[in-house]
Amino acid sequence: MGKLVSLWYLLAAVVLTIIWFIVSQLVDLPIIPSPVLVVENLADIFMKYIAIHSLYSLWRIGAGLLLAVAVGLPLGVIMGYFPQTDRFLAPVVYLTYPIPKIALLPILMLLFGVGELSKVFMIFLIIVFQVVVAVRDGIRAIPNETYYPLYSLGASFKDIFFEVLWPASLPKFITAIRVALATAISVLFFTETFGTQYGMGYFIMDAWLRVNYLEMYSGIVVLSLLGLILFTTIDLIERNACHWQYK
Amino acid sequence: MISIENLSVNYKSDSDVYTAISGINLTIPEGGTLAVIGPSGCGKSTLLKAIAGLIPEYEGTIKINGDEVNPKKQTIGFMPQNYGLLPWRTVIDNIRLGMKIKRAPELLDRKVLKKLMRQLGIEGLGHRYPTELSGGQQQRVALARVFALQPDVLLMDEPFSALDAITREEMQDIFLKLWQKNNVSTIFVTHYVEEALYLGQRIAILSASSGNINRIVDNPLFGGKDIRQNPEFFEMSLKLKNSIKKDWNQAWEN
Ligand SMILES: Nc1ncnc2c1ncn2[C@@H]1O[C@H](COP(=O)(O)OP(=O)(O)OP(=O)(O)O)[C@@H](O)[C@H]1O
Ligand SMILES: [Mg+2]
Repeated sequence: MGKLVSLWYLLAAVVLTIIWFIVSQLVDLPIIPSPVLVVENLADIFMKYIAIHSLYSLWRIGAGLLLAVAVGLPLGVIMGYFPQTDRFLAPVVYLTYPIPKIALLPILMLLFGVGELSKVFMIFLIIVFQVVVAVRDGIRAIPNETYYPLYSLGASFKDIFFEVLWPASLPKFITAIRVALATAISVLFFTETFGTQYGMGYFIMDAWLRVNYLEMYSGIVVLSLLGLILFTTIDLIERNACHWQYK
Repeated sequence: MISIENLSVNYKSDSDVYTAISGINLTIPEGGTLAVIGPSGCGKSTLLKAIAGLIPEYEGTIKINGDEVNPKKQTIGFMPQNYGLLPWRTVIDNIRLGMKIKRAPELLDRKVLKKLMRQLGIEGLGHRYPTELSGGQQQRVALARVFALQPDVLLMDEPFSALDAITREEMQDIFLKLWQKNNVSTIFVTHYVEEALYLGQRIAILSASSGNINRIVDNPLFGGKDIRQNPEFFEMSLKLKNSIKKDWNQAWEN
């Protein structure tokens, strides 16, 4: 990422903080503390209290994401490359895709308990459909001519996968993850409000119940930074893996 | 050497069967060139794809150097209608692609590749992506890719059609030079009579409707020096054009 891009991020952070500061001064209530106080508080308690919660949230997102890629990528490749399988699998995907995944939470909790597994599985469910559909559509959009020189050289499926299928679907695959991740984070927040003592969701709600607004805001800032780190990581990966798109 | 006997290709869809080509007989001697010319939709690309091993179900036989065509055994250099470069690979990686798939590292000699790229005028473009090239440059990369492989046969589908007239003639000369050096049996599709006369030892004229070969013309001018300036070249192309027009008009009337 260029210096210019980082500069824009900095500017956005400064502008948001200034707006926050002005609002806090205008309202002048404990429910909107000044950002200065929040940052001071954050510096005090981050290592002591918050770090462990953010690590828990990160691990749940990471595990769910990894699982979704491990299942969604092969499924999308198969559905995109072999039209016959798509005929059987597409109805299954389309019937289950529109169900709001959060509606399945009670079932997940009955099946997997209220602990880690149901939270990870929830994130998996949110991301996996987007991955399947994006990879499949990415592969379907490849013109036949792209394969011909490879086929006429007797390319194996492995060659086809690494030379064509993977690079062709990668940009759509990454975009799908970016879109799904935003939903995944908000749903994670919700699932972390019960059945656990750890996670940013738990920390923020707990601070709220204790009417400790400074801590609550510190948690929100950390959550937003967590999102920022995840999204910029994805951007970086995209820039490195898909550089032909940035020419 | 390529020999084709009684080749027919049917495209099957859910509801019907469409015969794209039928009863094609052809032989191309070792190191010879054949131009295939015919109206749009007559099955030129289909013929080429069948020889390239891209159509698994065909009737008749296609033999390359005596063996039934098999992309895994023979080295087939196939250049599709739009060059078929991979947009996500740099020029140099596109050129190396064939050797990677053929697992032929002995062909990956840097010096040879460099020389080939220099001959084609693309030596400075190795690290660009295909989208950063002009049409003529993409064409050169595609040529480099097939020639670098030292294929048993070379199949090109309308290789120079997308280029402007001057670039096209330039590329035809470049192709001829490479072909003379490598002496690879070549079949190419074109819809320019002049191109067929300039690059083809023999010219196969496909018929407009029935999906087979109307006739095969030997080209006495092939290989001569500066034949494009030759009045005979002009005369012959005119004659060929007129007779093709007559054939095809007849076909339309029937
Ligand atoms: N995959 C396919 N399925 C069904 N029909 C096909 C398929 N590919 C080609 N055809 C049909 O077969 C016929 C021959 O097609 P082909 O592409 O070989 O023509 P062509 O001579 O190369 O034409 P052009 O000069 O326009 O490239 C056409 O009528 C076309 O509609
Ligand atoms: Mg064609």
